[in-house]
Parts: sequence; C-alpha cells; structure tokens
Amino acid sequence: MSSNTPSSSAGGVGSADSAAPRRNSKRPKYSKFTQQELPACKPILTPRWVISAFMLVSIVFIPIGVVSLFASRDVVEIIDRYETECVPENLRDNKVSFIQSDANKTCTRKLRVKKLMKQPIYVYYQLDNFYQNHRRYVKSRSDSQLKDNSSWNDVSSCKPEDMSNGQAIVPCGLIAWSLFNDTYNFSLNNQQLEVNKRGISWKSDRDSKFGNDVFPRNFQNGTLIGGKTLDPTVPLSKQEDLIVWMRTAALPTFRKLYGKIERDLQPNETIHVTLENNYNTYSFNGKKKLVLSTTSWLGGKNDFLGIAYLTVGGLCFFLALSFTVVYLLKPRQLGDPSYLSWNRNPGGH
Amino acid sequence: MLEIFFLALQRSTLVTRLVKQGTGRVTLGIGDGANDVGMIQEADIGVGISGVEGMQAVMASDFSVSQFRFLERLLVVHGHWCYKRIAQMVCYFFYKNIAFGLTLFYFEAFTGFSGQSVYDDLYMILFNVVLTSMPVISLGVFEQDVSSDVCLEFPTLYQQGPRNLFFDWYRILGWMGNGLYSSIVIFVLNVIIFYDQAFRAEGQTTDMAILGTIMFTCIICAVNFQISLIMSHYTWIQHFLIWLSVLTWFLFLFVYGMISPTYSKNVFQILTEALAPAPVYWTATLLVTIACTLPYLAHISLQRCFQPMDHHIIQEIKYLKKDEKDKVMWKREKTKAREKTKFGFTARVDAYIRSLRGRLHKKTHSLKSKDGNPS
Repeated sequence: MSSNTPSSSAGGVGSADSAAPRRNSKRPKYSKFTQQELPACKPILTPRWVISAFMLVSIVFIPIGVVSLFASRDVVEIIDRYETECVPENLRDNKVSFIQSDANKTCTRKLRVKKLMKQPIYVYYQLDNFYQNHRRYVKSRSDSQLKDNSSWNDVSSCKPEDMSNGQAIVPCGLIAWSLFNDTYNFSLNNQQLEVNKRGISWKSDRDSKFGNDVFPRNFQNGTLIGGKTLDPTVPLSKQEDLIVWMRTAALPTFRKLYGKIERDLQPNETIHVTLENNYNTYSFNGKKKLVLSTTSWLGGKNDFLGIAYLTVGGLCFFLALSFTVVYLLKPRQLGDPSYLSWNRNPGGH
Repeated sequence: MLEIFFLALQRSTLVTRLVKQGTGRVTLGIGDGANDVGMIQEADIGVGISGVEGMQAVMASDFSVSQFRFLERLLVVHGHWCYKRIAQMVCYFFYKNIAFGLTLFYFEAFTGFSGQSVYDDLYMILFNVVLTSMPVISLGVFEQDVSSDVCLEFPTLYQQGPRNLFFDWYRILGWMGNGLYSSIVIFVLNVIIFYDQAFRAEGQTTDMAILGTIMFTCIICAVNFQISLIMSHYTWIQHFLIWLSVLTWFLFLFVYGMISPTYSKNVFQILTEALAPAPVYWTATLLVTIACTLPYLAHISLQRCFQPMDHHIIQEIKYLKKDEKDKVMWKREKTKAREKTKFGFTARVDAYIRSLRGRLHKKTHSLKSKDGNPS
C-alpha cells in the first residue's frame, strides 16, 4: 500500500511552509475557534441568582401591574345592547323578516353617564358572533382595485361579489358588500352632540391603501343588498367608515370606531341616541352594541393586563420566598463532592 | 494462500458482528489498514487511522484520526459534548415549533375552523429559517457543559451518554409539554389583553394583522429567551446570535412595513404606525416572555438543588475554584472517576513481558559487545 499524501483529513495545512519547521508536521494551525477554546462566560445557577432573579421580576412586575390596573380603572365605558330592544315587540318573533322589510327602523335609546367622561369620547359599534376573520371572507377583496383607479377591473379575488349586471363592482368583495350601516345620532338636553367622523381610520390606510382617485361604482346594485351604500362622488380615501370596516377584525367579537365626541360628559347626564337599526345580524344570532368609551395611555377598559402583571409578580415573589425557605432548610453546599454519583452509590454508577 | 488471506479479512468483521448481536451494545471499531475496512464498516461507529498504511481505512470510516491515542479524546471529549449538544438541540427544536404551531390551531377555534392564518405568510416562512435558527445552531456547535480537560480528567461523565440521561422520554415529553404550555400562555394572554377594546390612547381597536404581529413578537421573544436559559457556555457568538435573532425580527417588520402595500398588504407600516407607539405592545410582550419561561426556571432551580447531576457539581467546583484550593479532594475524585478496565488483560500482560524481555536482551547484548565476543 503506497502512502500518497493524505488530503484534508487532518484539517489541511499549506504545503509550502515558508518558515520551515524542524519537523515536517502536518498539524493544522491552532486557533481558538477550531479548538473550541473561545473565551466564554459560564454562569452557574446558584441560590443567590435564583432568588435574585425571582425578586427582580416581582419588583419590576408589581408596580407595572398596579399602574396598568389604575389606568384601566380610570377608563369610563358605557355599553348598550340594542339589537333585540330595537325591534318592535309585536315583530320580535320574526326579526329577520322585520329587518329585511321596509318598516321604520328608527329606535331611540337612553344612555346614562355614571362618571365624568373627558373628551375625546370614542363611539364604537360592537358586533358579536360576526366572523370577520373567516378565511373566505378575508380573501374576498381586491387591494389593487382599492388603491388605483386603473385597476378598477381587477375583481377576480372578489367572487361572488365581483360583478353586477355585467359590470365590475368598485369596491368589490364580501367585506365591502357587508359594510355596517346602522347610524347613531346623539343629543344631550335637546342639543345635538356632534360626532366627528374624520380621522377614525389609520393614516396609512387613507394615504396609501385607498386611492383618492377611486370612486364607488356599481355598488350595492344587485338583488341582495348587504349593507351600506356609498356616495359615488366621494373618493375611497375619504370614505372612512369603509376603511375602518375593511380592516378585518381578529375575533368574532369586535368593536369598530364610529366617531369621536369632542366634549366632556358630566356624571348623571342622560344622552338620547336616535339610531337607525338597519344592519341584519338576526340571520346568524349576532348581537349589536353601542359603546361609548374614554381611553387612557394604555387604551380602553381592560383590567386583565394589570391583573396578569400582579399575578405573575406575586407568584415570583412567592417563589422567591419559598426558594429562600428551601435553601435555608435544606442547604446543599455548592461544589460538595459527596453529591457526585460515584460517591452517592459507591460500587456501581 | 488466497483462502487464508480471505479468512484473515473476514475475521474481525465476524467478531464485531458477534459482539453487536450478542451483547446488543453499540460497538466501535478502529483500524488503520485495508484489512480493517470490513470491521470498520460492520461496527456502529467506525474510526479510521490515517497514516502509514494509507487512506483506505479513513475512507471507509465515520470518523478519522491521525493517531491511535486520539481515540480517547474523540470519545471522552467530543463524544460527550456531541451527545449533549444533539439532545438539547433536538428537544429545543420540538419545543419552539410546538410553541409556534399550536397557536395557529388555537386561533382556528375563533375563525369557525375556516383555515385562516393569524400570521402573515412571510412570518411563518422566516420563523424557522432566520428568526429562531441561529441561536440553536450556535448551541449545537459551541455548547460545552465542562471544558475539555475536565472531560479527560473525569471519563465517567461520558457515561451520561450510554445511560441516555439527556434524551430519555422524560426529557422529550417534558420539552414538548413546555412547548404546549408556552403556546397556551402566548395565545390566551394575547387574546384576552387585546380583546375588543382600544389598544391605544387614540382609540383604535385591534385587527387581525395587529393581533398576529403581537403574538408572533411574543413567540420570538419567549423562544429566544428560553434558549438563553438552556445554554451554559456563552461565547460572544451565542450572545450575538440571540440578540441578532430578536433584532432581526423587528428589523424585518420595519423593512416589510416600508415596502409598498401591494406586497406588504396588512403589514404596511404596522410597526412604525400602530405598534411601536403603543405601550401595551411592549408590556404584553414582556409579560408573555416572562410567563412562558418562569416554570422552566423554577424547574431547573429545583433540580439543581435536590438532584444535581455530576456535571453540575463539577461546574460548581470549577466555578468556586475548589479544585485549586483543595487539590487532595480533586485528585481523589479524579481517581474515583476512572474505573480499572478488565479488558485486554492478557494483551497487557503479554506487552509487559515483551518489554521486560526487550530490556533483558539489550542488557545481555551490551554486555557481550563489551567483551568483544560476537553472539
């Protein structure tokens, strides 16, 4: 067996060594990386570290929890469920036929302000059991059509709401077709409360996703009308209700911004709401609610974040204390060789 | 002649097969010549020695070394490290993919099981490729529980491999359970925190793209924080890659949000406009990250306290420098960690007799040459 020069099994080294070593060694050049001797930090989980880690978490989390809880408690919310109450009593057996008929859908509600509500007060409509996150529903839109007038004919992804009477619908798709169409009018002490409906959508939507040269065309023209009709003279970038609705919600219970009331509401005031109960949620047992809410730096009313932080912080504090007790009652000296397995059960590993 | 040569080739192969089938153990065959190729291929692990007898053994082997004495290092250092690295890597891979994948399934319960994904497609593509792969690769390449000289001093640590202490069902199911728990925490906490109310002071409510991005951020942060708790040997590479993974996520979100909405659709400017200015985004991420990793931290603290493993004790001895302070104890433990082998007894006796004979022969030869009488 002739020994030809071994190739790179030993790692390879330049065959021409300019500084000729005394032995003709083929040992590869030493480097910390290849010999896995890079400088390293090797932290050990000592009792001190364990207790400090848990205490640190509890010290950070408990104040955050308290602050979040207070922020949420400061928010004032009025919720009014109206979809059953706004159907006249004699017609409540068949709500679907009522909503589909031409009957008068006006309804008046009274809202009572319990605490001082500082402006701006946000008006939302809340829908329950409405699956805006269903895959077929989410797919049914044409973003290119919404953005640009030149793509008005790009309706392939919008089936079945793509064409009507042989013409393309702008904006096409199920999402636009099912636009929410209840309206609310607020009055306080017989004075109209102004609801600002500008600036309720995301600015990036208004500027970049909905074109200002795209106008509604052939919309809600078919036999089945799903929701609101749109003014064909107003470009899509200014149709803020549509823009807000087109942002599909994540969960079957969701709220969408309707407008803002820009004045304070004092406690014990009664607000009269005149609403048009147009939207059909009765076919699928959906619920409709009108919500008035202030916001804090954290957002709307949700105690959960504060409670969760307090829970985790409290749990960590409890764990820190129990670990302290454990380490005091049953100390194990660090680096004690009597815990090595061959010392614990000698004569058999 | 041919017959004898053929038998000589087959003998070591047959012996290896006998040992494998008879004892049911993992066998290692080491050799340096062409006549060892059969045995090397038959053994579970074949080690070839490159050198005087050529490269045939090396080409047929799984591992090759250049000298026989390197076998010790190959087994006790690299074998030991490799076992642990692979075990930890595989368990972690299961964990992170379970934590990510199950959230998708939970969301289906809220979409009428229609198959709508809560995450953007590009998030899911990048999850395993860029956002969580680099730290675990660095774990698999660089992780050392004890340094190489300690491995050589304490060969008993190698026994953790054959006894399968790190990849038994308890560990595998434990990590899967951790992934299940993390997925539940991530999903439930985010859905309740961002339920129906506004998430910002300006009154906007969450939509699907925002909830998906928030949940994904929580997954990335939790999973990368978890791996930093697993590692015990931190080089600058591991530090860098963990931070890089998290930063890459935010950078990707930023860049993706900058490209035209024709491509980025719902993610357009989601970080800059909607999420980064919202305090609840950051507070929710912090909460979920800590909530996911807390049970694991409690578990390893308890385990280290009540059931420390050998390498834990040795790590502590090295950390407190007790090996230098108490040299007697260190030497004693080192000797206890080596078992006297019973194999090859006759071969060693033969080698000793031969060396004695050689010394005797040299002595008599030098005596005779002094006398001037040729033998």
